[in-house]
Amino acid sequence: MTSQEDGNGVARITAPRVTVQFDRPDRIYAPEEALTVRYEVEGVGFASIRAIERSVVWYTEGKGEEDLGVHHFERIEAAARVREVVPAASLSLRLPVSPLSYEGIIVKIRWCVRIRLFFAAGRDYVSEHVFDLGAVPPARGTMERLA
Amino acid sequence: MRLPRFFGKKRGHRRTGSQAWGSFGEATFYALLVAAGLCFAGLWFTGTVGFGPDTAGVPWAPWWLWIFAALIPGALLTFGGSGLLRTVRGWGKSEERRAAADTIVELLEPVDHDAGPARDLPAVPTCDDLVNSPGTILRYRLPIESPESWRLLGIGLFAALWNAVLAVLAVTAGIDLLGGRVEPVLLAVLVPFLAVGIGAIAVFVRRFFLTTAVGTTQLEISDHPLMPGGNYDVLLAQGGVGTYMGLDLTLEMEESASFRQGTDTRTERIVVWRELVKEWRDIQISPGVRFEAHATITIPRAAMHSFVSEHNAVRWRIVVHGRPERWAAFERVFPLVVHPLPMDASAGPPRSRQAVELHG
Amino acid sequence: MMCVPAGRRSVPNPFATRYMRTGALPPLDVAGHPRDIAALGAALAGLGGSAVIVGSHGSGKTTLLGALAEWLELEGRVVERVRIREYRDLARLVGAVVRCAGGGVVCVDSGERIGRLAGAGVRAAARLLGSRILMTAHRPGSLPTLVMCDTSSDLLAALVARLPCRSAEGVIDRCDIDETFQRAAGDVREALFLLYDRFEERVGKHRANGISGWTRVRS
Repeated sequence: MTSQEDGNGVARITAPRVTVQFDRPDRIYAPEEALTVRYEVEGVGFASIRAIERSVVWYTEGKGEEDLGVHHFERIEAAARVREVVPAASLSLRLPVSPLSYEGIIVKIRWCVRIRLFFAAGRDYVSEHVFDLGAVPPARGTMERLA
Repeated sequence: MRLPRFFGKKRGHRRTGSQAWGSFGEATFYALLVAAGLCFAGLWFTGTVGFGPDTAGVPWAPWWLWIFAALIPGALLTFGGSGLLRTVRGWGKSEERRAAADTIVELLEPVDHDAGPARDLPAVPTCDDLVNSPGTILRYRLPIESPESWRLLGIGLFAALWNAVLAVLAVTAGIDLLGGRVEPVLLAVLVPFLAVGIGAIAVFVRRFFLTTAVGTTQLEISDHPLMPGGNYDVLLAQGGVGTYMGLDLTLEMEESASFRQGTDTRTERIVVWRELVKEWRDIQISPGVRFEAHATITIPRAAMHSFVSEHNAVRWRIVVHGRPERWAAFERVFPLVVHPLPMDASAGPPRSRQAVELHG
Repeated sequence: MMCVPAGRRSVPNPFATRYMRTGALPPLDVAGHPRDIAALGAALAGLGGSAVIVGSHGSGKTTLLGALAEWLELEGRVVERVRIREYRDLARLVGAVVRCAGGGVVCVDSGERIGRLAGAGVRAAARLLGSRILMTAHRPGSLPTLVMCDTSSDLLAALVARLPCRSAEGVIDRCDIDETFQRAAGDVREALFLLYDRFEERVGKHRANGISGWTRVRS
């Protein structure tokens, strides 16, 4: 979130909008395949951004506690560099072999590109964009409780 | 009848069910040993049992009984105390980490080298533990989860130690009664000790007969780790004596998720895929000749690989269900590790999930 | 903000722990109305700064503790959060009490796990150092009770309506909420887990129509 002044000098809160474009429109990638995303930050000027974090992570979702694995992480703080990567830039990297995206019953594994903006005012804003690594079909279980 | 093996190469420390309940059970077990040790040490030290240091005046107390009486509380306290410490230190740690810590010294220090992921395969468990034992016919012998021999040994040790304490107390009480003295404290301790002692023997005898009569189950596999789309030969060997109404071999994939919030810890498991690989009916097993049969398992080409993270897991396993004619049915679990297909084998991803078909 | 691929058939389960972790949902009272955290903060001050939040499993104690901790921080107080899970957490608790000396507040989740003897020691240390203790427990104890957390079907319904992920709409209705609340015997956390299963079963059936998946279950 960031605050901007309108023409009357009244501060109003505006939420930034981050749009991400994957190089594969279906967002399904093979293990070890190259991933390129282009993101665009709207509704906020780079001057109000203190730092930006760009990461590619997997996380679990379901009935267990959330586990997280970081495949790629970079934090950009220097003003000159922030100016280069905001409002728009690309990110390219090679994906790992595992874990593959998985739509289980009580365990789900999701991959995503995260763009986190840190504002000079102290708050931060995170935008998360899910994609698939691999093409494992969803599980449809017996729903047989064991414990 | 076959005596169970306690020192086979394949064992391990795998656990099933609720880790919290498991830890609680272990802690209770060791705490009972410590309590028994303290109780007996107190009785011995105060001379209540009749041959402690304060009762040197009892001329006919044999010297060996004195040493025996001194050894028992020491052994109980050492065994129970170290076990309790180990359980308390391991409470809340993952089973892989607990298994990785072989000694108390290691348990006291944080373990940096988790069993963790396989090299170059993030979040895929290693299968080092599963490929360190060669098979007799096929390449590897798979370890069994939760070996019964060790459980039997634990129960046996507990029953033996408990009843040793009970015997000493009973002898002392008998000596007192013969001498015309009644020790109400000793008699009060004796009654609950007797109940637990008889119960421990009953449980041990039942488990012993179950384990020895049913016999071990061994599973060998032609290769490991497994790959999606791969076919693998499996050799099932079932020991024991008597008739089996049925013996089934199933391949399963299970999800496991643990959640901790506040005082509530829950682990949930669910079998999301199961395939009956092969079943055998009306098997007669003779003494000294185990039942052996081959089967082929197929991992579906689009299968999810094995996955493990701190609180979540996807596990593959072979389960053998046995239904002996004269004994209760049993289930034995053999863990497997399935790796993801390498890039060249997968030949690029299907461009939509709908396009994926399972073959197997 | 989460963006799911456009072509993706899977719908996020709104009852996944990810969407229900502490802080994701606001603390609500038994009727399902938002709690007045400032009023509770004032009540806490009236009790001398140390108190206990009492309630059964899954009644929202941890959520309320988290909200109060945040409010206290906004008020400029030093706040330390400690969750008691293992014995070694006692050492962390003692450290937090020391760090909060002179008016800070130690927020202790699962305070009943401390034990009576250790609890008495920690309270004595806190008194000596001028630290305050705000903790959750299943039963009233030696500290004054700030609030008793109770649950109801209305509370569960209000929580479901506030889930950050809106995909429950049209899949889970009020009947499901009432049924799961009854089955969970008033444990809201357990009821949310039951709703997870119910959602998964219903969405899974839809999924089954569109995608060839793990269909072979022969046993």
